[in-house]
Amino acid sequence: MKLLKTLLICSIVTAITIPAASQQKRKTAKGRAVLAIPEVEKKDAICFALYTVSDGTLKLTAQLYPLAEDDPKEVRLEIEKGGSWVEVAKVNAIDPGWTAPFRVENWDDSKEAKYRVAHGDEATYEGIIRKNPVDKDEILVAGFTGNSIHPTHGGDISRQDIIDNVKKADADILFFSGDQVYDHFKHYAGWLKFGRDFGDIIKDRPTLCLPDDHDAGQPNLWGESGKISTLNGASDGGYSRPGVYVQEVERAQTSHFPDPADPHQIGQGIGVWFTNLNWGNIDFAVIEDRKFKTGPAGRIPKQGPRPDHILNPDYDSTSVDVEGAVLLGERQLNFLNNWAQDWAKADMKVALSATIFCGGAHIHGNANGRLHADMDSNGWPQTGRNKAISALRKGFAFHYAGDQHLATIFQHGVAEHGDGIWSFCVPSIANLYLRWWQPLEPGANREEGAPEYTGDHLDGFNNKVTNYAAANPEANPAGNILNTRSAGWGIVRLNTKSREITMECWPRNVDITDPASEQYPGWPRTISQFDNYNPPSWGKLGELSFDVEDPVVQLVDEETDEILYTVRANGKTFTPGAPEGKTFVVKAGRDTPDTIVSQKGKVGCAPQTVSLN
Amino acid sequence: MKFFTLSSDMPREKQDQLLLLYLRLGAFLCFAGWAWVHFYWQAPYGVLLWHDNTFSFLQRFGITWEEFVGTGVGDGWVQMWSSRIGWLYLACAIISLTVRKVSRYQMIGLLGGSLLLVILTYAKFVKAQYQLPMFVEHGGQILIPVLLVFALFFGARHQATVNAAIIAFIMTFAGHGAYAVGFWPTPSTFYAMTTVILNVEYQAAQIFLYIVGALDFVICVGLFVPSIRCASALYGAAWGFVTALARPLAGMSLSLNYWGADQFLHEAILRAPHFLIPLYLFFFWKKPSSKPAHKTTKEAGEPAMTS
Repeated sequence: MKLLKTLLICSIVTAITIPAASQQKRKTAKGRAVLAIPEVEKKDAICFALYTVSDGTLKLTAQLYPLAEDDPKEVRLEIEKGGSWVEVAKVNAIDPGWTAPFRVENWDDSKEAKYRVAHGDEATYEGIIRKNPVDKDEILVAGFTGNSIHPTHGGDISRQDIIDNVKKADADILFFSGDQVYDHFKHYAGWLKFGRDFGDIIKDRPTLCLPDDHDAGQPNLWGESGKISTLNGASDGGYSRPGVYVQEVERAQTSHFPDPADPHQIGQGIGVWFTNLNWGNIDFAVIEDRKFKTGPAGRIPKQGPRPDHILNPDYDSTSVDVEGAVLLGERQLNFLNNWAQDWAKADMKVALSATIFCGGAHIHGNANGRLHADMDSNGWPQTGRNKAISALRKGFAFHYAGDQHLATIFQHGVAEHGDGIWSFCVPSIANLYLRWWQPLEPGANREEGAPEYTGDHLDGFNNKVTNYAAANPEANPAGNILNTRSAGWGIVRLNTKSREITMECWPRNVDITDPASEQYPGWPRTISQFDNYNPPSWGKLGELSFDVEDPVVQLVDEETDEILYTVRANGKTFTPGAPEGKTFVVKAGRDTPDTIVSQKGKVGCAPQTVSLN
Repeated sequence: MKFFTLSSDMPREKQDQLLLLYLRLGAFLCFAGWAWVHFYWQAPYGVLLWHDNTFSFLQRFGITWEEFVGTGVGDGWVQMWSSRIGWLYLACAIISLTVRKVSRYQMIGLLGGSLLLVILTYAKFVKAQYQLPMFVEHGGQILIPVLLVFALFFGARHQATVNAAIIAFIMTFAGHGAYAVGFWPTPSTFYAMTTVILNVEYQAAQIFLYIVGALDFVICVGLFVPSIRCASALYGAAWGFVTALARPLAGMSLSLNYWGADQFLHEAILRAPHFLIPLYLFFFWKKPSSKPAHKTTKEAGEPAMTS
């Protein structure tokens, strides 16, 4: 009897004291950052500004601190001309979010310009609109992902090393692939902090920030065209946070993007921002790989303790490739198919998205949590993944992404290993959640001396992938030491002269100009633009010799009328690759492939001289 | 319905049995729902187990990293114990049905179940970044086994039982209200379920949640006002039922495997205490029997706080 009474009392006391004690502890806990909006003086009301220039239109979004009720809402954009500031646009700041999105048509991108955002009588914020670097041989894109600010894993460590290195490298474009803000309820406060941390490099160069799941206020995101998610974890598809919250996030992060390719809204009034940006003769496709994707919960047979996780390595991978499951969706696939054919003012093509098109990690979490497949990755649904790769390789696009918290280089395969695009997934700025690429079997066809985890593999969805590098964290990494958790950032050098793509993967807190500084093992790696669609089984057509430099060449399947690929040749000769046993119509032109070169192009056909003048 | 409600002409003993039944049913459904989570899905212990401090603690007992987290091919302590806890929940669910006044060991088992729910809730509390309402709103679930034991041990009408039920009620609705009103960030699912079920825009959902959140507090106070405590308990029962049902109602669809029942139904089941505890209080206060019981039972105990 006494024991029973004691237990009763213990139960009640425990129920009350545990949360109370934890609340007290929380006040002094150092694991999480305190995210607050600082009060600033009126002269500092403008936090930072982001911009892009594309097709003669400048779009710049100024991000303001909260304005008081009696403050003017009007924000002005001025350009320095002949030593004085000339107003070129003005808008009212939009609340919620206090963003001021400007648009200036007929922008002359052949000259650099100084700009100034002004608010009221006191606040100004200055930066530089760069000239379009079409005269540069090498365009440098600095890539980032996962901007955790929590001290437990080094998120509170200053970003000054990144700022210094980006300035030293003089990056032409900044690409933040997602999770710029991790707080699921206070995007505005997080976004202002992001601006304070990175504004110094953002203000002077075109910047693309892709809002990913955490930015939208949820741990994973299968957007399902704007559906409302009601399941914890959101794997039922849709958005967890209200549509107005998502709209505010997207307004802050993407309203300076070039106009969307297909601007129709999705559910809950949420807009779209998939588009292309042409800069320095590189054509970037900006893809939304989350917005249209189907949620797995209830759509696929259960394969693990979470609707989006597959633990059983013996499961039937075809069982989850269910009919109707969408990855990029028809609208984006149509956009990509058109984009891949359009080579006006473009020497090379790059696709930017949140994450890569495969299950790019085996171990998840801060321990040895082996996960056979993760449906948050773009390896699922497999049909959608293959459609995406098939669309991108038609333009020999290189893929630049993040999200995985694990830097990797993969070449993706559809029908065979090595028949698709290459991807570079950059490491996190500060690594909240660890992942490892650690296949159980050594990869096939590895390069000499390469680690066993490289080579040809099948990911958890049976997608064909070839790994070339993985910056795995240490097995049991020290808490807040950034580089044991494989934190870092990436650089991609796109050489329009040689058509080479060089991937660099840098740890944090090194000087990238110091010859003694080392990148993560496996980097740097240089590939050719043409490696992005060069299946091992293909043969070669006869060499084409042109009378113009760098013509655009297109191969069309004679039987199906389907475009195999379109690409800008490098120089006056081009030797098209193609599958054996098929006949192709070969077309070419200066900027568009409007001249038929051959009606019966086949592997092994004779060389040909082509006049396009 | 007649079987589960009290009527004035029902003998006192029968009434007490029905009061007990509400608590028994609440405990059973709560444990059964959580057992389903443990066996079929994933219980939320990850935030506690996948932790450097937990490993450091276990290291003192000579447990290696591989033994703790698994080798990557085989399971470690983390995976094995997470699923084994599910058996304890299942046992508690069964005990909830079988426990009788004389079953001392089963009562101890139920109290152990309550502690299991404390641990589970603590994990959710940590995962929610130490938001107090996350712990508090689970009060009804944590205390339902305690209530059942009290009802058996002291009696369904004993002051201790009723007071514990009031505490459980207040914890559940005050915790819920604190989120709904926005004292702590309102969970996304609150807006989502409101928007989907009522087919309203976000602004309307916001107003709705604010009102029902405020009402959560009103009914907590209402329990102490004799003239409205019956109405407060009845509203609590109805609102608790609606909020429990909201999960499957908003999430299930004919287009999903099993109509999504495996995803959402247990979410309603494990929340059974949210409406069965208020229902217990409602019937306890509503209609005290005018007829004396045929036989005085110790199980009935002394009446407390009757109106």
